[in-house]
Amino acid sequence: MALWFVFALMTAAAIFAVLWPLGRTRSDAGGTEASVYRDQLAEITRDTAAGLIGPTEAEAARVEISRRLLAAVDAEGTASVGSSPGFRRAVSLLALIGLPLLAIGFYLPLGSPAMPDFPLAARNQSPSPTQPLNNLVAQVEQHLEKNPTDGRGWTVLAPVLAKIGRTDDAVRAFRNAITYAGDTAARRADLGEAMAMAANGVITADAKAEFERAVALDAGEAKARYFLGLAAEQDGRGSDAAAIWRDMLAKGPADAPWRPVVTAALARVGGGNAPTSGPNLPALSQGTIASVQGMNAGDRNAMVQGMVDRLATRLKQDGSDVEGWLRLVRAYMVLGERDKAKSALADAREAVGTDAERLRKLNDGLKDSGLDG
Amino acid sequence: MIAEAGHYALVLALALALIQSTVPIIGARLRDPALMNVARSTALVQLLFAGLSFLALTTLYVTSDFSVANVFENSHSMKPLLYKITGVWGNHEGSMLLWVSILALFGGLVAAFGNNLPLSLRAHVLAVQGWIAAAFYLFILMTSNPFLRLAQPPLEGRDLNPVLQDIGLAVHPPMLYLGYVGFSIAFSFAVAALIEGRIDAAWARWVRPWTLVAWIFLTLGIAMGSYWAYYELGWGGWWFWDPVENASLMPWLSGTALLHSAVVMEKRNALKVWTILLAILTFSLSLLGTFLVRSGVLTSVHAFATDPTRGVFILLILCLFIGGSLTLYMWRASSLKQGGLFAPISREGALVLNNLFLTTACATVFIGTLYPLALEMLTGEKISVGAPFFNLTFGPLFVPLLLAMPFGPLLAWKRGDLKGVTQRLMAAGIAALLAVALVWAWTTGGAALAPLAIGLGVFVIAGSIVDIAERTMLFRLPFGVAFRRARGLPRAAWGTAFAHAGIGVALIGIVCESTWNTEYIGTMQPNDVAKLAGYELTLKDVTQRQGPNFRESLARFKVTRGGDEIGEMTPSKRNFAARQSSTTEAALLSRGASQLYISLGEETAGGGVAVRMYHKPLVLMIWWGPVLMAFGGLLSLSDRRLRVGAPKPAKASRALQPAE
Amino acid sequence: MTRKQRRLTMIGGALVVLAIAAGLVLNALRDSIVFFSTPQMVAEKQIPVGKRFRLGGMVEQGSLVRGDNLAVSFKVSDGGATLPVNYKGILPDLFREGQGVVAEGAMDASGVFKADTVLAKHDENYMPKEVADALKKQGRWQEGSDGKPVMSQGASQAKPSLTQ
Repeated sequence: MALWFVFALMTAAAIFAVLWPLGRTRSDAGGTEASVYRDQLAEITRDTAAGLIGPTEAEAARVEISRRLLAAVDAEGTASVGSSPGFRRAVSLLALIGLPLLAIGFYLPLGSPAMPDFPLAARNQSPSPTQPLNNLVAQVEQHLEKNPTDGRGWTVLAPVLAKIGRTDDAVRAFRNAITYAGDTAARRADLGEAMAMAANGVITADAKAEFERAVALDAGEAKARYFLGLAAEQDGRGSDAAAIWRDMLAKGPADAPWRPVVTAALARVGGGNAPTSGPNLPALSQGTIASVQGMNAGDRNAMVQGMVDRLATRLKQDGSDVEGWLRLVRAYMVLGERDKAKSALADAREAVGTDAERLRKLNDGLKDSGLDG
Repeated sequence: MIAEAGHYALVLALALALIQSTVPIIGARLRDPALMNVARSTALVQLLFAGLSFLALTTLYVTSDFSVANVFENSHSMKPLLYKITGVWGNHEGSMLLWVSILALFGGLVAAFGNNLPLSLRAHVLAVQGWIAAAFYLFILMTSNPFLRLAQPPLEGRDLNPVLQDIGLAVHPPMLYLGYVGFSIAFSFAVAALIEGRIDAAWARWVRPWTLVAWIFLTLGIAMGSYWAYYELGWGGWWFWDPVENASLMPWLSGTALLHSAVVMEKRNALKVWTILLAILTFSLSLLGTFLVRSGVLTSVHAFATDPTRGVFILLILCLFIGGSLTLYMWRASSLKQGGLFAPISREGALVLNNLFLTTACATVFIGTLYPLALEMLTGEKISVGAPFFNLTFGPLFVPLLLAMPFGPLLAWKRGDLKGVTQRLMAAGIAALLAVALVWAWTTGGAALAPLAIGLGVFVIAGSIVDIAERTMLFRLPFGVAFRRARGLPRAAWGTAFAHAGIGVALIGIVCESTWNTEYIGTMQPNDVAKLAGYELTLKDVTQRQGPNFRESLARFKVTRGGDEIGEMTPSKRNFAARQSSTTEAALLSRGASQLYISLGEETAGGGVAVRMYHKPLVLMIWWGPVLMAFGGLLSLSDRRLRVGAPKPAKASRALQPAE
Repeated sequence: MTRKQRRLTMIGGALVVLAIAAGLVLNALRDSIVFFSTPQMVAEKQIPVGKRFRLGGMVEQGSLVRGDNLAVSFKVSDGGATLPVNYKGILPDLFREGQGVVAEGAMDASGVFKADTVLAKHDENYMPKEVADALKKQGRWQEGSDGKPVMSQGASQAKPSLTQ
């Protein structure tokens, strides 16, 4: 509502700009040429004194300018001032009606008036004023810079990098994860996906190779197979793509989270006659698209959740890492899971035990977290 | 709300520009002062809205609002604040918004401070400004809208191209735009004169300050861009005859010609039709520059827009304005009263000569820039026209121009005395010959023409000094009297002297740098010593450092000369994570006007690093020259005479001139 | 001098300057122009050894070899043909495998392009037009890809759709 009020104010200012001069009875008449010529005459006197112009030339110039001066003064005398009330009224109408219509007509198809601003500050207002995701990522990156062979670190970092759009870095991180944490079908598939993201969604030859490797490692790797289908589609082999996806739907579990996506993809390449073996296959409708989007949002949470869970598991095994505990508690706060944060804090206290130094660090770190105790 | 308000402000600015472009013209036809004054208020409020729109986009950048596609594409929350702001115009959409904002600014300035203009002239000028503005608002809204939103705001932006993250680049586009767009005023005045069918000496005087403002900014903008390329691109070149650079040089050349021909028109009421043509051509070349850079027709260093629809749109604007104004010119120019003729040997004659050479030089640059494009379009063959072409064409045309330059200010109006002037320039000639002899004796190697070129530079500088000395009667009158005369001299005369001397200074810098530049390229290990032009440069170490959004490897060099330590230089190479790209930060060490220059290459396997070092003698003079020229322009702008015509000592005139 | 004579001198002077300028331009156009080729065109056209031209294309993945004393060699390809390039010096910042490049120099007798300049391109997405065309034919390069749906969230963020 405030936005429309601002729009109205601005429009009023614009209309006022047009109406104001029309309403004034006496408006300024502007400057005249005569003053310029008068000054030129004075300048010739100066130039003659400075020896820039000979006396005879100066005299000639003076005559010339005086003639122009007279003509200019004459012209000013005869210039008539008109007034056309009819046209003024037309312009007023144009400003009052045409201007807002034009502005709104232009703005509405282009603008998104319903959309609020989304500045960084607002985004960081999570339940607690703790670190935003970026800082967490930066911390992990710093850690990995010192310990570049920490496969687990790379495994945690890579999907987050992909999520925040640093796809090129994500590709590197997935490569490192494969090198230091072992080659698995899932990691190969993730790597391929990151490569495709880096290429703006195009399945490049390299990305395709990764998916093929993933499928070679585990023929049931759903993500890799889906992307192989997509690669086929992008190469223009729609029927191949459809075959791959149909096979996935036929053999995959009924409650697989990827089902809607694959179904939608299949429908896109025209393979709508999907096998009906899947029990609850939704028809391609607004509902399907909505469910895809819903799943994506869920997927996003799942990714963060996975990262947090891995951290929690690690800390259960080795509880001496105070920084790790702090990160875990903050992560729960960011996710809005206050209870889990509290229980993690309790676990942390227990794990740290009697080590005064660590306990102090833990308490310091959580001072402003809003968790009392 | 900020995004949408900015967007709506832009739309309102378009609506106002449309009214501003029509109503005042009809008002002038009907001789209705109220209708003519609509131009003024709409221009001012249009400036308000364009400014609001620009401010809104800047705010969005500062607050990292990634729901705006343009901010997401070109910013990053971890970027330093300064580069968040400069990132606004570091991309196509934002820079076009800056372009129209500056256009609105100039329109607003004419509206606010144009009290001294006859009413109908002001109405026409502002209406023409309205046409240009409306065309570009449409262009932005239809093809390059910076306010489009993203349905799902991403968490993090995609950063600014790290090469663009530099203070030099941050400042030079606004400068260039102030220059480019400033010439729109001269254009509007010219078209207004054609519409009114009336042009006289007073017109030239009204146009001159606006042209001068634009020229000053363009001069500084070009110099700054050149210095930026020099230290940022990492190999010490400062002018590449790149189409984008040429695009800024062409309006500069014709704008310089325009400044000079406007003087003739003002003083002698001659060259009227030619001056109008130059005003049209200068802005047309500015538009052409915008087209070349913004359409992506050049796959050049600066072109970061590659969308063909934009190119076609700008091409349409270009054809409409250039074609339209030239047609109007052909139709109406013959009806303008021709001015008087004059003797070839006179101040007017010298200024005509200046115009002849400047426009011819401009034409050669035009051919060199557009010939490859035309050829590719016609035959599909790709060629590149590089420095050799321009050295062979532009250079020879500038030599006679520079030779004649000291003569011009000394010649009298109407009928000059060439012999007398030559006698008075004797001192400058002797200084030049001495310089040639000295340089010849002192230096070894280099082109044989170099000492002669330096002599030419000295001649130009000495010529300016002679000009001032003659006017103040220095050496002829007691010093005190001469000093008083110097203070009484019109500031425009001082301006001329400074601007001309600036050309000479730049010429000397250019010749020295390109003739006696020495370089060393190689791989160095810590404690290796490189010898360059009498300096010893020792690599102390290479360290890693974390910056706000990059990591850099920093090399430290100790610079000594004959055992005395002179200083330390720290070139670096930065890696930007978000874009997986790197930039080279060259280190510069100034010694007088000369500079040592080091840039880093790749680190090699054995802990060494590839380096490129230059010693560039008198290189800084290349940029001191333009600064002097701009200073001369400022002096000239502050000349009392340019304020003429202000009926009352209104606030208006004070804003244009610094107080005396 | 009469009015007419003055006018004639002026016009004559202007014509002389223009004629000289035209002469300079034509002369320079003959001597100092450098043609642009892609590896494919080099293969078809038989460019004589030693003739300067500009070579444009993509730096082939994995082809960059650094030698002693800043010597580098890499291969430039345009999808059809590839051409080995030798260069001595420091490569520009934006030089990367898999990216577009323009090098200036000449062919030597052994069929290697000896570059004396490798141009830095400002725009990271820069690709010579011919290369882009050649790659487009092979279906590898998609201009302004319309954000093909990719399975996870990240990809749809990488290419978000604009709202109306």
